Amino acid sequence: MKTIKSILPMGILLSGMIFAQDLSGLEVIQKVYDRPTGNDMTGNLIMTIENSRGNQRVRKIKQFVKTVKNGEKKIMYFLSPADVKNTSFMTWSYDDASKSDDQWIYLPALKKVKRISSDSKGDYFMGSDFTYDDLGDRHPLDDTHTILREEAINGKETIVIESVPKNEEYMYARTVTWVVKDSWIGLKKEFYDEDDELLKILTVDDQQSFKDVIILTKVKMKNVQRNQFTIMEFSDVQIDTGIPSNKFTERMMKRGI
Amino acid sequence: MKMKSLILSLIFLFGASSYGQSLEINGYVRSYLGVLTNDTNDYSINQNTLDLKLKRTDDNVSFFANPFLYQTPNQDVSLGLREAYMDVYFNTMDLRIGKQQIIWGKADGMFITDIVSPKDLGEFLLRDFDEIRTGITSLKANYYLGDNTVEMVWIPTFTPTIMPNETSIWSRIPEFPLPITIDESQKEIPGRLENSEGFIKFSGMSSLLDYEIMAGVMWDDDPTLHIVPIITVDNPTPTGLRLSPIHHQLTLMGGSFSSELGGLILRGEGAYYMGKQFSALNPEQMNLPTSLLEKDYAHYLIGTDFSIGTTRFSTQFIQRAILDYDDLIVQEELDNTMTFLANRTFLQETLTLQLFGYVGLNNEDALIRPSLTYDLADGFEILAGANIFVKNEESETAGLFGHYDENDMVYVKVKYSF
Repeated sequence: MKTIKSILPMGILLSGMIFAQDLSGLEVIQKVYDRPTGNDMTGNLIMTIENSRGNQRVRKIKQFVKTVKNGEKKIMYFLSPADVKNTSFMTWSYDDASKSDDQWIYLPALKKVKRISSDSKGDYFMGSDFTYDDLGDRHPLDDTHTILREEAINGKETIVIESVPKNEEYMYARTVTWVVKDSWIGLKKEFYDEDDELLKILTVDDQQSFKDVIILTKVKMKNVQRNQFTIMEFSDVQIDTGIPSNKFTERMMKRGI
Repeated sequence: MKMKSLILSLIFLFGASSYGQSLEINGYVRSYLGVLTNDTNDYSINQNTLDLKLKRTDDNVSFFANPFLYQTPNQDVSLGLREAYMDVYFNTMDLRIGKQQIIWGKADGMFITDIVSPKDLGEFLLRDFDEIRTGITSLKANYYLGDNTVEMVWIPTFTPTIMPNETSIWSRIPEFPLPITIDESQKEIPGRLENSEGFIKFSGMSSLLDYEIMAGVMWDDDPTLHIVPIITVDNPTPTGLRLSPIHHQLTLMGGSFSSELGGLILRGEGAYYMGKQFSALNPEQMNLPTSLLEKDYAHYLIGTDFSIGTTRFSTQFIQRAILDYDDLIVQEELDNTMTFLANRTFLQETLTLQLFGYVGLNNEDALIRPSLTYDLADGFEILAGANIFVKNEESETAGLFGHYDENDMVYVKVKYSF
C-alpha cells in the first residue's frame, strides 16, 4: 500500500518491527517508504515560522489524506492567517514514480480552481523552511543509499544512512538520516546543499501512536545557513475514518471544510 | 445615506451578537491612495474600504454575505452588497440562491467565457479581482457526477456592466465630428421572465485535463450605440448626433481547458458569439457611424504558466475575430492582445515583486502594472505599485490602453485582513 504522506516530512513517518541486521541502506529506506499508515488520515497542522530576528508567523491548516487505487489524494484548507483563509490546495499523487503529481489551488478572491505545475518541488511551502519536496514521498530508487554507521541518539540506537541523488540536478547534494532500529522512525535528517555544505537539520520533537500507526506530531526544520526554523505540530489526528472519495474534488475545494 | 449606513451597522451588530460564535466574520480594512504622475499630481483615488464577509454554515445549508463600504474624503460613503446568497447542499447536488459572483473559464484577467457576472469598470481594469465583478441575483444549480459537474444558471433580471461616471478619469466617450446628445431611455431591460438570462456549463477534472464546455443566452453586457443624425426640416445636413445605448441579446457557446505539459501549464479558452451588433460607417450619411451590422464573432486565447528558478511567469495571447467582416465596420476585423505576468517572492514569502501587463498588438498600446507587496505581519500588507499606460503616438487610434495615456499613476495600498 502506498504510504500516506501527510504534511509531515516523509522518510520519517514509519512503524514496524523488522530488525536491521543484514539490511542494506536501500532496504532500510524501502522499509521507511513502505510502512503502513492506514487508509486515510485527518488532522490539524500548526506551522510556526521564525526568522533570524526571532519574528514568528503562524499558519493553520486542516488536511485530509486518502490512499486510492493508484496513489494518494490530499486536500488542505488554510484556516489562518486571514488573508489566506479559505484557500485550498489539492494534490493527486501516483505510485508510478514516472508520473508527476497533479495539483490545484482554489483562491477565494479569484473564485476559481487553477491547475498549477508540480514541477516546483524546490519551492518553499508557504514561506516555511520545508520545500514541497521535503514534504513529499521521495522514492527510494531516486537515491543511492549507504549505511555510514550505527549511533545512539536521544538514547535510541539508530542506523545512519547517507542518500546521494542519482539526478545531479536535485536540490540537495546528499541527505543523512538517523533511523531508529526497532521502530524505524527517523529521528533526525541533515540536508546538504549543492556545495555539500550543511543547509538544514530536521529533528523530531514528539510522536504519538494512533491505532497501530506511529505519527510524528512535532518536527522542526532548522536552516543553519540562514539561522531560521519552522516547527510543524500535528493535532486532532484521526486514522481510518472512512473519508469519502468525493472529498477530493473541485466541489469540496470551493465549499471548504 | 447616513441613515442607511446606521441601519446597516445595526444589522451587522445585531447579526453578530445574535449568532455569536457560529457566525464567521472575516474581511479587511484598506486605505488606498493613488497619485497621477502628470503635471496636475491629482489624486486618482483616495479611498478607505471596509469589506465584510459573513458566513454561517449548518449541516446542509449555509449563507454568505459580503457587504462593503467605500469612503472618500469629503464625499458620501458608498455602501454595497457584493454578494448575499444561501446554499443548500444535497448528496450530489448544490443550489445557490441570491446575489452571487459566478466565475467561469481558465483565462486570467480576460472575459471570454467568464461573462455570467457583469463587470464593474468604474476604475477601468484596475480593481482587485473580487471587486471588478458585480454579483448577480440568480439561481445556480450544480449536479455532480464524480469529477464532472453540470452547472445551470438562471438570471431573472439583467444587470449590465457598470461604467465609469462622466466625471471620472476613466470615462471614455467616443469622439464624433458633430455635437452629440445621449438618450438613455432605451437602455433599461425591463424585468420580466422573457428577458431573463440562462447559462449551462459542463466541466470535468482529471489527471490529464481540466475542461469546461458552456453555452448561454444573454444580454450583451456592453450596450451598442445606436446613432441617429439630427436633422431639421429646413436643413437636411445633420447638425448633431443622438446616441442611444441599447443592450441586445446574444447567444454564445464556448469552452476552456487547462493541462500540464512537461512542467508547464497550458491553458486555452474560446467562445463563439452570435448576433452581436457592430457600428458601421454609413456612406449615405457623410460616412458617419450610423449603421449597425449584425455579425458573429469569435474570442479565444492560448496561455501558459511556467517557472524559471523561483520566478513564476504567465503569458496569454488573445484574439477577437469578427466573422464575415464588412469593411464598413468601425472595429477592426482582428483584435490582438497579449498579457504577461512575472512574480517572485523573497524573505520567506513576505516580500512579493510582481510585473503584470496587457499589450494591445493592433495599436501597440499597453498597460504595465509593477508592484511590490510586503507582509509586515500576518494579514497586514503594504502594497506599492504603478499603473503605466503606453500609447503609440504614430498609431491612428489610441487603443484601449493608450486612450488613458494621461492616467499614469503611482499608488499605495495598506490592507489589514481579519
